[in-house]
Amino acid sequence: MFENHQLDCLPQHQSIEFKPLADNALLHTQLSWLLFYLPLMAALAAVCFFNQSFASVAQTPLIIGLPIILLLSLIFNVFSVRLKGVAVRSHDIAYQKGVIWRQVTILPLARIQHTEIHRGPLERKLGLASLRLYSAGGMSADLSMSGLSHADCKDMRQFIQDYTQHNQASEQSQNSLSVNEEELSNE
Amino acid sequence: MNKQHWQRVSPWALLYFVLHFAYRFIKDGIFNLLPIAVVFVTQVENKLFWGKIGALVAVVGLLLYSFAYYLNFRFCITDDHDILLNKGVFKKERLTLSFLRVQNVNVAEPFYFKPLGRVNCIFDAAGSVSQEVVLPGVSIAYAEGVREQVLTYKEAQQPIEQQASQDKQEQESQYRLKLSNTEVAKFGLMSNMAILALAALAPFMNMLFDFFEQAVINRLEAFYEQEVGLLVDAAALAVFSLLFMVVMIAVLLSVMMSLIRFYNYELYFQGGKFKRISGLLERHQLSVSLEKVQSIVIKQNPIARILQRYTIQCFQATSGVTTGAKSKQSLVMPVLKREQVNQMLQRIYPWLGQTEIDFKALQFKGVEQALLIKNLFFYAFIPSLLFAVFNYYILASHLFYSVVIVAVLSCLVYLSYKRYGYYFYHHQGRYYGIFRSGMLGVQYRVFELYKAQSTRGVSTHLMRRAGLKSLYIQLASGNVNLPYLKANVANEIIDFTLYQAESESRNWM
Repeated sequence: MFENHQLDCLPQHQSIEFKPLADNALLHTQLSWLLFYLPLMAALAAVCFFNQSFASVAQTPLIIGLPIILLLSLIFNVFSVRLKGVAVRSHDIAYQKGVIWRQVTILPLARIQHTEIHRGPLERKLGLASLRLYSAGGMSADLSMSGLSHADCKDMRQFIQDYTQHNQASEQSQNSLSVNEEELSNE
Repeated sequence: MNKQHWQRVSPWALLYFVLHFAYRFIKDGIFNLLPIAVVFVTQVENKLFWGKIGALVAVVGLLLYSFAYYLNFRFCITDDHDILLNKGVFKKERLTLSFLRVQNVNVAEPFYFKPLGRVNCIFDAAGSVSQEVVLPGVSIAYAEGVREQVLTYKEAQQPIEQQASQDKQEQESQYRLKLSNTEVAKFGLMSNMAILALAALAPFMNMLFDFFEQAVINRLEAFYEQEVGLLVDAAALAVFSLLFMVVMIAVLLSVMMSLIRFYNYELYFQGGKFKRISGLLERHQLSVSLEKVQSIVIKQNPIARILQRYTIQCFQATSGVTTGAKSKQSLVMPVLKREQVNQMLQRIYPWLGQTEIDFKALQFKGVEQALLIKNLFFYAFIPSLLFAVFNYYILASHLFYSVVIVAVLSCLVYLSYKRYGYYFYHHQGRYYGIFRSGMLGVQYRVFELYKAQSTRGVSTHLMRRAGLKSLYIQLASGNVNLPYLKANVANEIIDFTLYQAESESRNWM
């Protein structure tokens, strides 16, 4: 099985120290959630106000249920943001997330096809950005990391670009070297 | 780049554009016209007259659009080894495709071009349908010439690989596989194309059922009553006959679709490249370089097991966004006998062929028993309990049915659990993984570890307490996963896969 004698000296991803998200990330998550949730509550309140038959059935469960859901969601967001983290190693980027299903995704830099920095209005206001990394074969972005500071995002993108350029340059020089060797052997 | 290189395709290409846009209109636009159709049916009085006018406008519009598209469609093959394409009527578009980014140059011969000796020359970019360039209605000689030009340039840019492939070419003679159409028809029996055909009929099901009830079931019922008498329930027999007929029609459709796709299937292998030609209405030619294959799947479903046949699929890189890209760029060897599978594997992964498809000899390692317990609980126990409650309070039928449901679901869960397995192999400095999965059937996905795109480990609180982890590896041709491994094993696989992907200097694409 798994014939690999070098396993002991391999860099182990379990020992990665993840850097937490930016300070404003929690605020951004909570505000984003409220921006979705409060209009929904307002719409339901309006329906209750104008439709008495609906109100007689749904008013009490909504008055009790909605604040509980809101509170639980806000608490869940706190855990969710605290458990997220990102780490850049020499050859890959790792991202961990998840409260119930904890996952660690690692994407080798050499496999990144393109990168995107995305900033919504709220993110711009809070100095945040999302970094999306795409490789081949994924349905969408392989890594979509929100709640990072804009400066961190730009640094990471630059790091990836430098890595890719360096790789391409070394590949080209390797190719030209092999062409020269081939020509010499032909002569 | 020189201006004089810009050229138009042959006027025969108009035929392609008309059919292409008609197909696109039916496929993408027909649902958008539903509101108009509703208004037409409910509000318009002289339907025949206005219907004819509408159809005429649509046909004239289609012809004019196709003609305008043809006029604007120009291509150019530059000295810098790029293919430039200008196209579009209302929205002008320029597409640039470098020879280096071309994954395949396919030559397709649709049935309407056959008498004219014309073909479509298709340049596949790495996994993106939107970046695909099609030159319709070109002569066979021109298409072959361009293909040669692109492939020669690509090979010249990859001297090491070229040398290796030349060596290979010298060593091996051309391998040829030809499938008889009887064999191809067997693929129709094995594949799920029948289900696709039935799914296409889904929107008309109500109408069909009404029709069948009046036209078939009532007559059959009368016939059975007259002929069989009171021995059996005539109505039940009539419904059973109808179902049998539907299944037979579905199977027939599946066989037909299989023949349309793989008619006169021929596969050649030389110099590290597969070339496949098949198709009834359109003779489609697909070339796949072995180096570009990201993973292969060897599968055998229950019907294939009865027929003692296998299917092999070789997957190339896909964008993942469109399933069309995936199916188009995967090379399918639809119906292979055991010895043919072995011959194929000798070319793709020689070390795998040595086992002669006795995969049990590979000693797959299974996943942890916790998966069986979890799946029994969620997929057998809970659904059975719900059914038992429903059965007891609503249907009031015999408890025996609930017991049968538990037994069947548990068997399926157990089979699925037993199918999961993994095996890693080291051959001439290259590391391979084989992941086995399935339920009633079985499939083996084989890939080289360094072609992995990313890895992911997932665990819940209970899994962490039990020291377990699920593993996902994303390949350029899709995902592979192994649920419920021991955490240290999953971690080792992740670390080693990353090491391979990051340290290997060979080009993965």
